[in-house]
Amino acid sequence: MIFYFMSILIVILAAFWTLPTAIKVLFTGYSVTKTINLGKESIFNNINFVIDPLSAFFIIIILIMGILGLIYSKGYLKPYIEKGKSINSHYLFYTALILSMLGVVTCQNALFFLVIWEIMSLSSFFLCIFENEEKEVLNAGIKYLIFMHISVLFLIIPFAILSIKTGGYNFESFSLVLKNNEALADIIFILFFVGFGIKAGFVPFHNWLPEAHPIAPSHISAIMSGVMIKTGIYGILRILMLSGGVTKFIAYFVLIIAVISALYGILYAVGQSDIKKMLAYSSIENIGIIGIGIGVGMLGLVYNHPMVAFLGFIGAIFHILNHSIFKNLLFFGAGAVYLKSHTKNMELLGGLIKKMPKTGILFLTGCIAICALPPFNGFIGEFLIYFGILKGLSINSFFNFLILIFAFAGLALVGTMALLCFTKAFSITFLGHQRSKYAENVKDESPHSIIMPMGILAVFALSVGLFPGFMFEVLITPVELLTNGLNEIQSVEEPLNILQIVSLVSAVLIILTALLAAVRYKLNKKIESAPTWGCGYDKELKRAQYTGSSYVSPFLSMLKPLFKKVYDVEKPKKLFPKSAHFSMKIEDIEEAYVINPLLKFDEWFLTKFEKLQNGNLQTYLKYGLIFLLISIIGGLLI
Amino acid sequence: MMIFLIIILNLLTVLFLPFLMIGIIKKTKAFWGGRYGASVFQPLYDFIKLIKKDFVISNTTSTIFRLTPLISFAAIIIAAVFVPLISGTAIINIPAGLIVFAYLLALGKFFNCIGAMDTGSSFEGMGTSREACFTSIVEPAFFIILGSIMALSGNYTFESLSKITTNAGSYGVLIIIFAVLALFLMVLIEGCRVPVDDPATHLELTMIHEVMILDNSGFDLALITWASGIKMLLITSLIAKIIIPTGSPLYALYYLITIFLVSIIIGTAESSMARIRMSHIFEFIFIMSSFALIVMSLVGAKVFGG
Repeated sequence: MIFYFMSILIVILAAFWTLPTAIKVLFTGYSVTKTINLGKESIFNNINFVIDPLSAFFIIIILIMGILGLIYSKGYLKPYIEKGKSINSHYLFYTALILSMLGVVTCQNALFFLVIWEIMSLSSFFLCIFENEEKEVLNAGIKYLIFMHISVLFLIIPFAILSIKTGGYNFESFSLVLKNNEALADIIFILFFVGFGIKAGFVPFHNWLPEAHPIAPSHISAIMSGVMIKTGIYGILRILMLSGGVTKFIAYFVLIIAVISALYGILYAVGQSDIKKMLAYSSIENIGIIGIGIGVGMLGLVYNHPMVAFLGFIGAIFHILNHSIFKNLLFFGAGAVYLKSHTKNMELLGGLIKKMPKTGILFLTGCIAICALPPFNGFIGEFLIYFGILKGLSINSFFNFLILIFAFAGLALVGTMALLCFTKAFSITFLGHQRSKYAENVKDESPHSIIMPMGILAVFALSVGLFPGFMFEVLITPVELLTNGLNEIQSVEEPLNILQIVSLVSAVLIILTALLAAVRYKLNKKIESAPTWGCGYDKELKRAQYTGSSYVSPFLSMLKPLFKKVYDVEKPKKLFPKSAHFSMKIEDIEEAYVINPLLKFDEWFLTKFEKLQNGNLQTYLKYGLIFLLISIIGGLLI
Repeated sequence: MMIFLIIILNLLTVLFLPFLMIGIIKKTKAFWGGRYGASVFQPLYDFIKLIKKDFVISNTTSTIFRLTPLISFAAIIIAAVFVPLISGTAIINIPAGLIVFAYLLALGKFFNCIGAMDTGSSFEGMGTSREACFTSIVEPAFFIILGSIMALSGNYTFESLSKITTNAGSYGVLIIIFAVLALFLMVLIEGCRVPVDDPATHLELTMIHEVMILDNSGFDLALITWASGIKMLLITSLIAKIIIPTGSPLYALYYLITIFLVSIIIGTAESSMARIRMSHIFEFIFIMSSFALIVMSLVGAKVFGG
């Protein structure tokens, strides 16, 4: 337990140290720099740690979610502690993760950025494999580790190019190179985009995400999905800021990748029956939505359209905040369900809202927010992005019109699929009859340490939705960094006025619902309780209840070619069938048709070299000799 | 002063016209069926009767089930504020009001879905699943149509709907035709009419919207029927906004005529064709999507093709 308190202590100290500065920076817009200088010979020379409004925004999210995760972990890890599992290293890595994320968003020195980035990846890896005695956990964890290292590779290359060009490691000096050399800037941006995109989970670099999130403990999934993958977005925004603008090609590239990510993510989320895997896919969707915002903002920069740029970027940044609020809430809720029922498969649950009403209602709040429905926060971010796209439609080029209208419709499609996905998730898990003994396992409400952070997040979600104007004005400073040089004083007024109306609408919605409830109460009609209408059958047909996969099956059957369905069927045979079962799994099409064949090829190719390792000492000495000869000859030639 | 008049007029429209619309549809069906039929005000009487009734609530359900009708009704009533109704203007006329409108409807749908799933009935699950699935195809098409029309005028309020002919010249007529056709299909789909859904069917297996509300009763059921009527009226009002010329002094009259005509057409369509087989409904809905793409390309051709 001592590590738990130390972890809390360190995170709170970090909060005391950075939070006031961050808030000040966010409100005033002036950045604060701290330089570490240990003399010319040391590598710790001239390392800048800068808190500018963009970093400040991320710092606030990281700290709030970090502290909430700590509170939650107390309740979540309790059964594990009772079983005798050591949690010391867990909290050590948790602290390391929070601190390294703070480092990533402030460090402005390429070398140290990469080191801190690596600490972040490694500590999250160790957090992920908490239940490492299970083989699948370890496998998924290693997959995550490999993906993170591919990501680092893609980051090292552009950083190396830039530091060779400038002779230094400071981000500020990179800015000049990027601004002066457009062709190079394009290549570097794409490399960075791949590197950061793997972390963020853009399709087609998303593959680690739906594997790593389900296996991690819920507060870790929440931190990873709600906060850590956003550091990838931070990276992209930072590079965008340094290069001061992008070419048309990059803007469309980002927009198209983002639309595909959003659609792909939500499509697979619809098909999942594992709650956490579903949430992981939905993270890909939300990263896609953030990406659409960034893409629209970039288009605004390219076409010198301040309003579009402003709306796109502020929508994206709003959605970063929103997503971390409701995704944490949902992961916390999924964890609470898992803790009591010991399963993540929603097909085995059902009827939980009667036993854990608070968890149920809070989870519902998250579901409404993530579907971007008013009066919760999700709506505000998506509304701003939609508005940006609408404004962008009038930019005068047919290609632009086409791409943007598909982004517009794509976002609508994503919204409706999210509705399908989350009505399914909520109703199959929490409503109806209990589907199995797992659901019957659940006896009582979650502990306070789980309800409290969820409650706080739900309050955040509602208050951002009800008073978007305040958050909007706070977020103007980071957006100003991105739209640098564009005149945007007139931009702020119009969306702000509309948000005011939206907030009014949300308030009226709540009041009207309350009024209707009051009217119904006043009518004072008798309420008779009866079983659900079974179309003539008077006994309840619990086993005939709709399942999650049948709920989404009309939709999925329409999009058949986009999935690889794996069936496991045993049909009932003969007159008195003894056993029969049916199960269906949806496999990621990218994994099935791209990654697995590649791995197979790799395996085949590398086994060709098996003979090199024959256990014979003489052969190994021969290799050494050949190596020496080559290096001597090579040295002579150079 | 003007704004109060608009509010009162629009409120009256939302209060009475949905019932009248359903009444006219039923009357038309009775006419084609060779019956005399009930009065056109019968839906309103039914509504009042429902309010007076007691509740029967399934014991499987939770608070969500009781909350559903309230929220979905509140959402739709507020969505109505953003749509130009009988007065020709919306009460709140903001840019991108379309998105607020669509998402309020979606909020209603979200609660309808979880409310139906709360009963644990297999039939209601079936209906919900279909309803949620159809929406996911309808919504993008709706966004493409309205997005294109708004791009045409550069004005992002519902006002741009009435300016198609002024902005698109000779393309205008075609755009109007396809937009109106697509929106009419949307009325059929969202209003749960034949050939997508049959509100008068007897068999739970083949129902969509009706089956979702099997367990609702009394005041709750009254709110739900009213809300679905309002939804149909709102989409029809968009059609009216498109075809009635701007600034027409007799807007209210033309509006009523449009609503009346659309109801009669729906009634006639219901009497003259059968429901489509469930597995073929998608193809029907995709007609709307293709109309949407036609509208989009027409707008593209107009704005960028000269």
